[in-house]
Amino acid sequence: MSNVFYFKLAFSGIVKNRKLYIPFSLTSIGMVMMYYIVMYLSHEETIGQMRGGEDVQGMLSLGTGVISVFAVIFLFYTHSFLIRRRKKEFGLYNVLGMDKGNLMRTTLYETVMLLLVSVIGGLACGILFSKIVELLVAWLLGADQTLTFAVDWTGVGNAALLFSGIFLLLLLNTMRQVQMAKPVELLRSENQGEKPPKANWVFAVLGIVILVCAYVLAVSVEDPLEALTVFFVAVLMVIVATYLLFISGSVACCRLLQKRKKFYYKTNHFVAVSSMAYRMKRNGAGLASICILSIMVLVCVSTTTCLFAGEEDILANRYPRDIAVRTESADEQYVNAVSAMISQTGQENGVSGDNRIHYRYLSVSGYYNGANFILDPDKVQTFDYSDVYVINFIPIEDYNEQMGTQISLEQDEVMLYDPSGEFTGEQITLEGMEPLVIRERTDEFLRKGEDAVNILNSLYVFVTDMQVVERIDVVQRQIYGENASDVCAYDAFDVPGSAEKQNEVGESLMDAVSAAAEADPAFPDVAIEVAEWERESFYGTFGGLFLLGILLAVVFVCAVALIMYYKQVCEGYEDQSRFAIMKKVGMTEREIKRSINSQVLMVFFLPLLLACVHLGFAFPLIRKILLAFAMSNVGLLIGVTVLCALLFAVFYVIMYVLTSRAYYRIVNGQSAD
Amino acid sequence: MAILEVNNLKKIYTTRFGGNKVQALSDVTFDVEEGEYVAIMGESGSGKTTLLNILAALDRPTSGTVYLEGKNLVAVPESKMAEFRRRHLGFVFQEFNLLDTFSLQDNIFLPLVLAGKPFHEMQKRLVPIAKSLGISDILQKYPYEVSGGQKQRAAVARAIITNPKLILADEPTGALDSRASDELLRLFEAIHKSGQTILMVTHSIKAASTASRVLFIKDGEVYHQMYRGDLTSEEMYQKISDTLTMLTTGGERS
Repeated sequence: MSNVFYFKLAFSGIVKNRKLYIPFSLTSIGMVMMYYIVMYLSHEETIGQMRGGEDVQGMLSLGTGVISVFAVIFLFYTHSFLIRRRKKEFGLYNVLGMDKGNLMRTTLYETVMLLLVSVIGGLACGILFSKIVELLVAWLLGADQTLTFAVDWTGVGNAALLFSGIFLLLLLNTMRQVQMAKPVELLRSENQGEKPPKANWVFAVLGIVILVCAYVLAVSVEDPLEALTVFFVAVLMVIVATYLLFISGSVACCRLLQKRKKFYYKTNHFVAVSSMAYRMKRNGAGLASICILSIMVLVCVSTTTCLFAGEEDILANRYPRDIAVRTESADEQYVNAVSAMISQTGQENGVSGDNRIHYRYLSVSGYYNGANFILDPDKVQTFDYSDVYVINFIPIEDYNEQMGTQISLEQDEVMLYDPSGEFTGEQITLEGMEPLVIRERTDEFLRKGEDAVNILNSLYVFVTDMQVVERIDVVQRQIYGENASDVCAYDAFDVPGSAEKQNEVGESLMDAVSAAAEADPAFPDVAIEVAEWERESFYGTFGGLFLLGILLAVVFVCAVALIMYYKQVCEGYEDQSRFAIMKKVGMTEREIKRSINSQVLMVFFLPLLLACVHLGFAFPLIRKILLAFAMSNVGLLIGVTVLCALLFAVFYVIMYVLTSRAYYRIVNGQSAD
Repeated sequence: MAILEVNNLKKIYTTRFGGNKVQALSDVTFDVEEGEYVAIMGESGSGKTTLLNILAALDRPTSGTVYLEGKNLVAVPESKMAEFRRRHLGFVFQEFNLLDTFSLQDNIFLPLVLAGKPFHEMQKRLVPIAKSLGISDILQKYPYEVSGGQKQRAAVARAIITNPKLILADEPTGALDSRASDELLRLFEAIHKSGQTILMVTHSIKAASTASRVLFIKDGEVYHQMYRGDLTSEEMYQKISDTLTMLTTGGERS
């Protein structure tokens, strides 16, 4: 017989069973698309260059891993439904005189066709989707495009390779089953019974233990620098635990429920619990993957949205005044010169420097061992970032001038401003110096913008006069040598009016400083920060991250919707006969409906529920990490996270309603006649 | 008193697109007394299954009435059907119809669970039934782990555990080998002796010969009926066999 014949046979087999093959193809198309897009984003260069982009890409690489595992598990699961239905047909062909070799050739053609449709369709959708996003980015961010999407050949290659591999396995599996079976068995295979699942208690308990450890780890992290490393460890532990819990824990849980006779033998629970045990055995891995992908999306979306929405907050935090100038010298001559420049440029541009801040400071970092601040890093054995402080020493006269107060301090007395409120000591003692007694604390001072993004704790210590600052300077110079910091002057002011005005003032200030530096070689370094200049790059970065988050969410939600729908439809065909029997034995329509609802509900919402719990425990970690982006608005973060979770849940509910309806229609259709 | 009264039952199937009409039952009338064991025989296509489906309230007749203990089955609304079936009828099917996700015990409990009975009562009812059916040792097994005969005995247990008014059996020996068939028929006789009313559809002469009365259906009508009286099973077998030969060769009605 010619190849054309087998090709036709395979083709007509697919067409005749299109009710199952179309959703299967759509599912695998969705998988290919999801894989391609995530793969592509995970090594896109422009994303890597973004602030925080590398962390996002690290997360995405993990995501591609999860998606690959998920694809293998899920395609195998869904394909088993196809095989089951096709086996009967193969049995008939076998009885009619086709040998197994012929059948295998037919399955080969079938698999190749499915593979081609999936990979080509999936990649086309993926590329199309990324192009749409490219246009969206260009539209949102104007000409200054931060994300450029092109066809990513590595992604195409990897996707094609991975899915060819998976389909090869599917083919081998089908061939094995056809090879092993006898014709009569093939004819009957649809009605074959299945072994009841055994609960694996060791894995179930292990899953719980690992999960608890991961939660404790995530919650107990104190300091943001540690947070990133701990985050990845915790994520890995949570992934492992989730798989264990869904695969073994769920079956174990069903078994426990079955042992509780009073609970189990209730109309509502009886059917649901026993079929859940079977469901979970085959579905656990798939559901775990969905759970993990859900939490990844939730984390991505909520953090990026939060950064985007909190942008003005972050800017205000990072740049308390429109323009900030740091003069790296305490020499009055230069400090006054810079002050004069600021006043002058202001006048030239017709603005008086509003909300002017001016103070001199010396920043020293030290490790607080409970009594003293140790400056020499070599003397510190155990290192905990939460005990490292950046101490700004400022003469009290600058404080008084700033705040309009008349505070005077005795020798060796200080006043303390502690923004984090973590420092509980009674005195400030630098290594090798007399202790400085804290006479009072204040909760008001205009801190420097850069301290807002510093993940180390900062302290502001107001001392008697400039001489004290200079004495400290001498000590820290001895210890730090080349790395010692200079006494600086901090000047900041607002420029009322338009953004352009800000630009103008900033630029003329720059010009004035460089002119002065040319005239006097000893002129100190002067750093100028203009909030407006930074705003654009902020929007670029966070806008890009935000879109990335949304893109991932959309891709994922589409894929999951498709996958869940198909799963439910397949299971529906399988459950038809089961519900037909129950109807004959006397189960009413309402009971069937209720039982279906509770089952679908559990299958659907377990992953979401666990994802939300995960998210809750990850929250402290996420908050710490966002601090590194100067995002300290916890209220916004909570709001956005909850909103994201709710939106996701709404999508989920819509999917659930559609799915359970389709399922009910299928289950009921057959049993009626 | 008749527990089941079937009057002038008629069923016409219309093919999906309206065209052809097929008359499955033309005019069926018969009674079943309480405690009777009735077998209904007929060839494939004679309307046996249609009749059983109507008696089981799984299908509705085109015209005619079915009274179960004086209650008109045809008038039971669709929503109450399933509950009605659960309360008053027990089923034994050719293909057993056990659920593969349940152990045998849970399969037997299914109708009781649906009726909301507490566990200890279910347990109390199961013990004697399981013992008399000889399945006490395999209650915790799953359907795929036991033989066809054992599956069918579990199905019988499921049918009788609700104490139904009437047991409807559809070719109960159809999927069993001869030994398992004999055993099942012995069980049916024993259940019958304990006072249970049974209506069995079959085309096995062997199965029919254990009944106390046999109805023959041909072309959608009750063509002939025969009481067992004092006949032994062997004599009954011979008589049924003769009747069937006459039926198929087209002899006159006796």
